[in-house]
Amino acid sequence: MTSPSQAAIAGSETPDPDGVGLTTEPVGQEGSSDQQVGRSPGQLMWIRFKRDRAGVISAFVVIAMFAVAALAPVISSLYGKDPWTRYGQLREGLLNDNGYPIKANGGIDSEHWFGLEPGLGRDVFMQLVYGMRTSLSLAVVIAILSVLLAIVIGVAGGYLGGKTDYFLGRLTDLMMSFPSQLFFVAFVPVIGALAVDPQDEMPTWLRASVLIFVMWLLGWMTLARLLRGQVLTLREREFVEAAKVAGTPPWRIVRKELLPNVVTPILVQSTYMLPNFVTAVAGLSFLGVGMPASTPDWGRMFATGAEVYQSDITYMIFPGVAMVIFIVAFNLLGDSVRDAFDPKSGR
Amino acid sequence: MRTARVSVVGLAASALILTGCSSGGGGGDEGVSKDDAAKQQVKYEFGDEQASTGPAEEVKGAKKGGVLTVYQRDSFAHLDPAQMYVSDEGSMSTLIHRRLTTYKRDNSGKYTVVGDLAKDSGQSSNGDRTWKYELKDGVKWEDGSPITSKDIRHTFERQFAPFVSEGPVFIQQWLAGKSGTGYRKMLPDGPYKGKHLPDKVLETPNDKTIVFHFKSPQPDLPYALGMAGYAAVQEKGDTKEKYDKKPVASGPYKVASFKSGKSMKLVRNDNWDPKTDAVRHAYPDSHDIQFGVSYEASTKRLSSDSAENKTAVSYSNQVDASSMQEVRSNPDVKKRSLAGYQPYVGKISFNMDRLKDKKVREAIAYALPAKSLMQAFGGSGGGELGGSYLSPTVAGHTGADPYGKAKKPLGDVKKAKKILKESGKSGMKLTFAFQNSPEWQEFSIAAKDNLSKAGFDVQLKDIVSDTYYDQIGKTKNKYDMYHSSWGADWPSASTVIPPTLDGRQVQDGASNYSHYNNPQMNKEMDRISKITDADAAAKEWGKLADSILKEDLPDIPLMYYKQIQLHGSKVGGVVLNDVISGIDPTQLYVKK
Repeated sequence: MTSPSQAAIAGSETPDPDGVGLTTEPVGQEGSSDQQVGRSPGQLMWIRFKRDRAGVISAFVVIAMFAVAALAPVISSLYGKDPWTRYGQLREGLLNDNGYPIKANGGIDSEHWFGLEPGLGRDVFMQLVYGMRTSLSLAVVIAILSVLLAIVIGVAGGYLGGKTDYFLGRLTDLMMSFPSQLFFVAFVPVIGALAVDPQDEMPTWLRASVLIFVMWLLGWMTLARLLRGQVLTLREREFVEAAKVAGTPPWRIVRKELLPNVVTPILVQSTYMLPNFVTAVAGLSFLGVGMPASTPDWGRMFATGAEVYQSDITYMIFPGVAMVIFIVAFNLLGDSVRDAFDPKSGR
Repeated sequence: MRTARVSVVGLAASALILTGCSSGGGGGDEGVSKDDAAKQQVKYEFGDEQASTGPAEEVKGAKKGGVLTVYQRDSFAHLDPAQMYVSDEGSMSTLIHRRLTTYKRDNSGKYTVVGDLAKDSGQSSNGDRTWKYELKDGVKWEDGSPITSKDIRHTFERQFAPFVSEGPVFIQQWLAGKSGTGYRKMLPDGPYKGKHLPDKVLETPNDKTIVFHFKSPQPDLPYALGMAGYAAVQEKGDTKEKYDKKPVASGPYKVASFKSGKSMKLVRNDNWDPKTDAVRHAYPDSHDIQFGVSYEASTKRLSSDSAENKTAVSYSNQVDASSMQEVRSNPDVKKRSLAGYQPYVGKISFNMDRLKDKKVREAIAYALPAKSLMQAFGGSGGGELGGSYLSPTVAGHTGADPYGKAKKPLGDVKKAKKILKESGKSGMKLTFAFQNSPEWQEFSIAAKDNLSKAGFDVQLKDIVSDTYYDQIGKTKNKYDMYHSSWGADWPSASTVIPPTLDGRQVQDGASNYSHYNNPQMNKEMDRISKITDADAAAKEWGKLADSILKEDLPDIPLMYYKQIQLHGSKVGGVVLNDVISGIDPTQLYVKK
């Protein structure tokens, strides 16, 4: 297991709101070639991370994707198209009689960079950009909520122990045994029937909230278990004992002594969780229970792609490649973040 | 049109050379043109004794023998004729069941109603109130016993039995002179408890003769008798409910085995005499039917034309919308395809109890993009833009298009906006219910787009496919508009207008989905149904349909459904038959 001196950090990535929380003990030789200058663990991590080329590239890719998603309206106005207009149907000469793009490669040209969607004739580039926006924002919200809940449940279980731990542990097991996709497929119509007037469409925000709620409800368990384990060992360490003897209140122990020591697993796990949520949300859209049809969505692009691949394989390529790049980059980033924090683990 | 098309194809071809990657869609092609529609626009003649005499006209180059593989999506839920109303069961039933009359399609594509078991298409008297049929000589059941008028009487009497619930009810209602389910009181147990229909209703003076007596003129009887639902049932072999799994065949094939949901094997019926049949052939030794083959799968198998798929065909599986491009752009596949009309008209029904203002309905009618619907169903191979209630395949079709659905296929949003403003209801909430299938999902996006631009607050409501028609069939449903489609049972508007627009038919589950009830139009329907001259009636129906559409607008028609079907390269005699709206199984043969 990681020794607290090595795992303890605080850094530019996750600034503690209080600005404290650094268990700044002297750091050993490893990782630092320049022995004259004293460095904080955060700085060390940053130096190690910068040396990892794959990690840096992945970080750029990931940041670029988030930037694209965040700046979608800007891109749309620069590009001059939006994801809702049915260009292929409104303008002659773009789609043929069967609803497929007339030009080769899915109708790619200077007007429509990634081509046109068969049938409705919407712009694929805009669909993808806005679709990523939808999927990524959902995934980020879900990830943040899940991490917060995991911290609360994991740390509480680990630190308090006894009956609380037993109860929280069983709760975790119970939630883990739910098949999340099935649960969701069954859950949405129920919410729809309960919360929405039968004459009304389920509003987009409600659909998004339901999606977030269910994914959150079923997404925190792995991290919570991990944290419980970590906290369980930390709780017996001398510095926690010392804090207890000194009469530090439990809440302060959790905040100042325990949490800073579990930042690494939290960070590493969330870099794994986020792409998982992206694919899970896409999977639900693929099954037809994601966002409503008029909202551009990454996952639904795969469903459409699967329908039209025989005659228009190009359509599948853009969302597909974008998704693969995103997932690979995010996972590589996760790996290198872990390596940078903790070069000894897993090696 | 032609030149424009060539240039587009040229462009696509050059782009192909440049990129060498995935090929472009290329230009369109017409598929089924209006000419085909006119040809298909039917006024089926009633054939005389000569036209009804067998054997049927030989199919060119046809040879006996071979095994035909048949891919079907749905298993046949019923083999008992009385329970058959679904079109794919109807296709198969032409092979095993014979009726009093049937539809003959000659090699030039002309249709005639001819006698099947009967010597001719029927002789009417008393102003079409009495119809007389005489059975042919030498018609037999699969066990070799002759088909007599007693069997025919039994066939109609058992239609009144409580267990018969799925089939058509036209003739029962005509015999009883009652609408709805009132006819059942006439013979509550069917013929099974010794009671029979009185002679003043159904008469069988000897072994060969059947006479129908109706209370009002029924000029359409020969059409109705040709439906699969009125095929003959053997009195001796009638096992009631069990007949549904093991019927006694009278057609050229009999059921050798039937595994519901899996497969079915039809083999030659030696007691069927081709000389008595003016319509059917029995070229292949057997039909091996496989169930559970989706449209997508059958399209893939048949277009691959590999090994066993060479001798394969499907009675009713169509090319799925997403494969349309592949099928129509690949010349090898295209030459093994047939395109034709389906009898269905796709329309959006307005809930007249909720959308009472005609201006609002008009605004919607103008705004809806018919082209988006057509494209969702695969383009011109899956449908044709249409603006009137009667499909091109129904006699009386006028081609009227009062709301510009064919002229302005993208919808006239400006005009819609103006009309909605005039009505003072801009911004009103409008609930559009649709079936949760890819096609309707796609259309709903386009429709919402247009309607929102016209000033509606559109609420899309997707409904699970299985229960869709149950949901919109409730008269107290909470939706403002929903799609529905209706096809004629025979090519007369009398099977289209009254079932969908007669206000006296409004009840839960009835097919008048718009709840339209205009007493004046109801009266007009009654008047036209009594006209005995088919041509005059067709004209009147056409006029009535157009005036309902123009004056009251209970539904807005958008599209006439079409279909493309494929067959293997070693299957011959493949023709589309409009009556069964699919490939005619009785003309198929296996090439050597």
